[in-house]
Amino acid sequence: MRRREGKSIVATAAAWLVVLTTIFPLIWMAITSIKPQAELFRIPPAFLPESVTFEHFEELLENTPFLTYFGHSLVIATSTTVLVVVLGVLGAYSLVRFSYPGRERLAILVLFTYLLPSVVLVLPLYLLMVKVGLANTLMSLVVAYTTFSLPYALWLLRAFMAGTPEDLEWAALVDGASRLGAFVDIVLPQMLPGIISTAVFTFIVGWNEYFYALVLVNSDSARPLTTGVMNMLITSFNIEWSLLMAASVMMSLPLIVIFVFLQSYLTRGFAASGIKG
Amino acid sequence: MAGISIEKLCKTFGSVTAVRDLDLEIAETEFVSLLGPSGCGKTTTLRMLAGLDFPTSGTIRIGGRLVNDLPPGKRDIAMVFQSYALYPHMTVAENIAYPLRKRGVPRRERDVKVMEVARLLRLEELVERKPRHLSGGQQQRVALGRALVREPQVFLLDEPLSNLDAKLRAHMRAELIELHRRIGKTMVYVTHDQLEAMTMSDRIAILHGGLLQQFGTPADVYERPANVFVADFIGTPSMSLFEGTLHRGAGCLEARIGSLVIALPEDHVAWAGTSNTLAIRLGVRPEDIFLGDTGEPAVVKLVEPTGHENIVLLTVHGLVMTARLGADVRLRAGEAVRVGFRTPKIHIFDRDAGTRLNGDGPSRVTAFPGRQSIGQR
Repeated sequence: MRRREGKSIVATAAAWLVVLTTIFPLIWMAITSIKPQAELFRIPPAFLPESVTFEHFEELLENTPFLTYFGHSLVIATSTTVLVVVLGVLGAYSLVRFSYPGRERLAILVLFTYLLPSVVLVLPLYLLMVKVGLANTLMSLVVAYTTFSLPYALWLLRAFMAGTPEDLEWAALVDGASRLGAFVDIVLPQMLPGIISTAVFTFIVGWNEYFYALVLVNSDSARPLTTGVMNMLITSFNIEWSLLMAASVMMSLPLIVIFVFLQSYLTRGFAASGIKG
Repeated sequence: MAGISIEKLCKTFGSVTAVRDLDLEIAETEFVSLLGPSGCGKTTTLRMLAGLDFPTSGTIRIGGRLVNDLPPGKRDIAMVFQSYALYPHMTVAENIAYPLRKRGVPRRERDVKVMEVARLLRLEELVERKPRHLSGGQQQRVALGRALVREPQVFLLDEPLSNLDAKLRAHMRAELIELHRRIGKTMVYVTHDQLEAMTMSDRIAILHGGLLQQFGTPADVYERPANVFVADFIGTPSMSLFEGTLHRGAGCLEARIGSLVIALPEDHVAWAGTSNTLAIRLGVRPEDIFLGDTGEPAVVKLVEPTGHENIVLLTVHGLVMTARLGADVRLRAGEAVRVGFRTPKIHIFDRDAGTRLNGDGPSRVTAFPGRQSIGQR
């Protein structure tokens, strides 16, 4: 009994160690964002601020285009999420429910595109965007993020779809529903955990992505938060640490809120994709 | 209310023929079972009736109306699935109400009907629960309720009892019979369990390899099996079947299986050809073998007491056959006995074609005997 207790104490301590190491930069970020400028580079550094200030946040919101970038990111991440979920759900339905030649191969091919390093795709995508006149628009990033979120979404949703018994749909048809009606009434609610986890993953990709945003967009009219903040606060001569930390805190907030609310769906999504996918 | 008329129904999946030239006339209010081993085409037939699969050729009429191209929702049928197919995210009440909702029945009326059905199936206490919080038997009743609620012309049931344990299955069987008696609707019931088919049906359609083997009352298929397949398939333990020859003599018939000779009355077989010898398969049901002081010498191979009877494996003239004997008969393996056969009950089939040759007539399809059969079941 004592041995088991000892083991669990060690395990708990180890877990906490990992958690603290992971979370430390985030805590440091939050603390730095509320430290006055004068305290920032004090040596030795103090963990807790002597006085708390929100001036960096005010500065960021009032005197910089932070809110514009925030809006862009919101539009890009939301549009990508909607597009990926809609296409993913319909695609997964097709891959699971309809039989046509090359169905399995198609599913594997889709995954194959996911395996390509994104660096390889960025230039062709950029040229394509220029050609179709989407370069430097929010839309270009929505399309780009969809290309690498959709394969994963398809596979995750396919696993959920496959876990929805076909009998349910047939029963709905017999009960008087149309094919679409059965899909909306019966299939979609069954896939809800999958849809939510897909949506969250896609939103995070759209929200955090940096590299494509850097290459595909170089005007303030379409810059998202990631590249926007870097562009605005980091120059060759100076880094605005306090503003950067304040911006980082605000950028993290939406994701933290989403995680807190949808945590249980996310773990179900992980489980489903691991077991069935 | 409506009967079902199936004509020349065929269904192929690629190179596989699931149902071949099926003709079935199911009368109004009749309870018909589609019985057969797995892969015999019974579920495919039911799914075509439901509109979930479409026939390759042939016609299906429900209540005189051609339904071949109608979607399931427009056929005025209800179906109970083997898995029950309850909608997991809906409560019992919502599940039962779903068919009504899809037909645009106003909410108030829907609620009244749902409660009516819930009362009928003793589900009142459970209407707010989700299916996963119900036992197998309760889920089964909800599935039935969803089928009952909109009062369809025809009920299709796809092995609805196969997921229940033996005791509950017997109970639900009785409930289903009672339910059918009460609502008096046409029911088509798919099962591979002959006990279910025999106890519940007005008539049984026995399918094998996509072909209809026999369509008759339970008594018919048991007492006058149309061919060797039906003879072998129906009855537990199954009929003992042997290859032999039948000889026509002066005023009587003689069946010879190896050294065993059984004399039969002349009219036992409807003799068609001119030859005096026929290659046959002879079938004896376990209950048509009895012990006696005279008769054929036999050796007991194995005794399986079930409590109310003894199933005894016997060797008679080197042939192994199963006999059903009373529980009071005490036999031991290796014991020598003498056995006789109830000759009028002996089944004779053509050896090659497998068809029934008995003089009582091959009755591949018999008519619906009418509603009074309910009391006799």
